Amino acid sequence: MATLNIMIGQEQGNVPVTVLRVEGDIDAATHKDLQDKAAEVIENGATHILLDLGGVDYMGSAGFRAIHAISNMLSDEESSGLSKSPYLKLLNPTDAVARVIKTLGFDVYLDIYQDRNEAVNAF
Amino acid sequence: MSTEQVFDLSVKASLENLQEVRQYIDRVGSSLGVNEKAMGDLRLVVDEAVTNVIIHGYGDDDDGVVELHMEAEGDSVIIRIRDHAKTFDPSHVNAPELDTALKDRPFGGMGIFLIREMTDEAEFLPLPGGGNEIRLVKRGAIDGQR
Repeated sequence: MATLNIMIGQEQGNVPVTVLRVEGDIDAATHKDLQDKAAEVIENGATHILLDLGGVDYMGSAGFRAIHAISNMLSDEESSGLSKSPYLKLLNPTDAVARVIKTLGFDVYLDIYQDRNEAVNAF
Repeated sequence: MSTEQVFDLSVKASLENLQEVRQYIDRVGSSLGVNEKAMGDLRLVVDEAVTNVIIHGYGDDDDGVVELHMEAEGDSVIIRIRDHAKTFDPSHVNAPELDTALKDRPFGGMGIFLIREMTDEAEFLPLPGGGNEIRLVKRGAIDGQR
């Protein structure tokens, strides 16, 4: 069975940013691990999350359910419409994952970065 | 016409086996000469299809089995996924609302949408004796073949 490793980091940009570095395959068997870890850091006070997907070789729709749920956990009344989330951003997806992000239209909601510092300072 | 190659995998319908299913696609796809882009698409659509069978088809039935059959025909790859679960009609599944704010977008429907987007043919067929067969065709999957 696939396992997911999630490492938590902290960065200080314009606001404090919690970085979740994910390694492994995100499928229907593992996506809850990501969702639960995000819920845990949000519970502990995280308000801005950078999701580092550089170590994710495979992500199916279950992974996008998790991202959707995390985005909803972080959203407020101001984050409406089709604007990009000010609270959740993605870092370094592989080409295959980036293609699915686009196919599912998640690039409309979430900024995607290749550079960690640039991503942190974009919040 | 190229020689047809046939492979088979039978796994217990458990989400824990999704990785094994993806590894099967990688293994057989490599031996069939499937190109990298098609391989990524096939890995995804088969994972989505098998996930649906496990969650929506078998549900709480822990004894279910999913069978896979993958073959090449010219430059196409044809994959058949069989189960003995209740009949599944994907026409009732709405596509995700891509132009709706994420906060207001309903969960679900993404798997079927990806299957339709990333294959050239996707048929969902009830089997006469019960169960279902999903037939997926990906054209242009094997370079240098017609």
